[in-house]
Amino acid sequence: MIALENITKTYSNQVTALNQVSFKINKGEFVFIVGNSGSGKTTLIKLLMKEIEPSQGNLYIDSKNITKLKRRHIPKLRRNLGVVFQDFRLLDKMSVYDNIAFALKVTESSSRKIRRTVPMVLSMVGLADKARMYPKQLSGGEQQRVALARALVNNPPILLADEPTGNLDPSTSWDIMKLIQDINLRGTTAVVVTHDKEIVNTMKKRVITLNNGCIVKDMDRGDYGDET
Amino acid sequence: MRLRTYGYCLENGLLSLFKNRLMAFASIGTISACLFVIGLFYTVVVNVQYTLDELENNIGIAVFFKQGISTEEINVLKQKIVGREEVESLTYISPDEAWEMAKKDLFEGKEDLLVGIKDGDNPLKDSASFQIYIKDINMQKQLTRYIESLDGVRHVRQAEEVAEVVQGFNSFIQYICIILIIVLILISVFLISNTIRIAVESRKKEIGIMKYIGATDGFVRGPFIVEGLLIGIIGCVLPLLIIYYSYDLVIERIYADFAILENLILFMNVGQVIQKLIPLCLIIGVGIGFIGSSMTLHKHLKV
Repeated sequence: MIALENITKTYSNQVTALNQVSFKINKGEFVFIVGNSGSGKTTLIKLLMKEIEPSQGNLYIDSKNITKLKRRHIPKLRRNLGVVFQDFRLLDKMSVYDNIAFALKVTESSSRKIRRTVPMVLSMVGLADKARMYPKQLSGGEQQRVALARALVNNPPILLADEPTGNLDPSTSWDIMKLIQDINLRGTTAVVVTHDKEIVNTMKKRVITLNNGCIVKDMDRGDYGDET
Repeated sequence: MRLRTYGYCLENGLLSLFKNRLMAFASIGTISACLFVIGLFYTVVVNVQYTLDELENNIGIAVFFKQGISTEEINVLKQKIVGREEVESLTYISPDEAWEMAKKDLFEGKEDLLVGIKDGDNPLKDSASFQIYIKDINMQKQLTRYIESLDGVRHVRQAEEVAEVVQGFNSFIQYICIILIIVLILISVFLISNTIRIAVESRKKEIGIMKYIGATDGFVRGPFIVEGLLIGIIGCVLPLLIIYYSYDLVIERIYADFAILENLILFMNVGQVIQKLIPLCLIIGVGIGFIGSSMTLHKHLKV
């Protein structure tokens, strides 16, 4: 599903964020990517979304080499990736319903499809009764659920989560993580970047550990590790 | 893009226009001013051109022959002149016809003054002439020069001065007009691109989210292009209305204050003018709106 071949990313200020990184993630896998700040996690997410270009190496998503993808094909790539961020990135002026419907409008779905899909996704994340509320009226955990619903509404095969629990308290974090796990169990490949040691150690999933732009560990049923 | 996406773009363009109304108002104002000046000058130029065309139909060249010229020689001259490309039409006016016309023009109602002239006695017997109408007033000079060089021609009378004055006036207006229009168009484009930049700025977060959800360039840019186009279109309605409703008033005023012009300048009617102005203003307005907004989007909206 996702494959990196000797990816190196050097920013224009000569900082090397990733150095000869290679790994593969199979369809339906659940992978944690852990590491200190500055270890290259965010760069990795940005590369996967083709927000930035690698300096060297090849990156495959769905066996397509996205380093060679033309600009006008980027939207199509991104529709295959659901993304959630630490800061939720919801539109405050829109209701929960409209925030999710917006993702469908962007992909030019019919209004019939929007009316059908949005309530479905909302009940999947357990917010069916909050459709008319605005992001500012919701708790952090609820906002992240809305973000998740928005990421999933277009049915992407891959879910990228960049510190999805970074702004949440431990018990809410667990709710979100379980939700991501549920989504993963339905067949969506999940790539979760996180700092949360407890969650990583408890869930016993594959863990890729980055340090200074290099992979230092890649273990199935791994843990956060103490050397970082 | 699908049809509903156009709807989305239109809706959001309108919304953004309204939210951004102060800047939008400024841009609409400049475009209006720009198009008003364009419309005004265009109206003047069109009317002068119209007058000129009318003049061309009335100003001809009169060619008089040397004394004692034979009919054959006149026919040869006729062939030579008619063959020229500048010539629209040529009429031979015989001495008798000339005298009849002169009598009508000069002595109408005062026929008693002509008692000394007997019927068979034509005072204009050497005044046979060609009355030549030319295709384009600009060609008058070269044609005159050619005719003067021909054998048997005594005198060429032309209305060159009038033509030159009108022509000169017209090109002077055209130059000023072009310069003014260019300056105003540049200002309008600049203002629109600024308006759109502010609109983009105020929706930065939304645009960011759209991009990572997988919005195409067209989808992100659409509403802003619509906003620019709307500014252009609204900007062109106002000057058209002003010109439409004030045209007749202004003409009346001109005739009242400069009665002398009544026979010199002919005005087209307002319908004819507006018919030409509507497409012109729309094209310029829409063009300015489109160029202004796409300029900004290329600079500030790299997806």
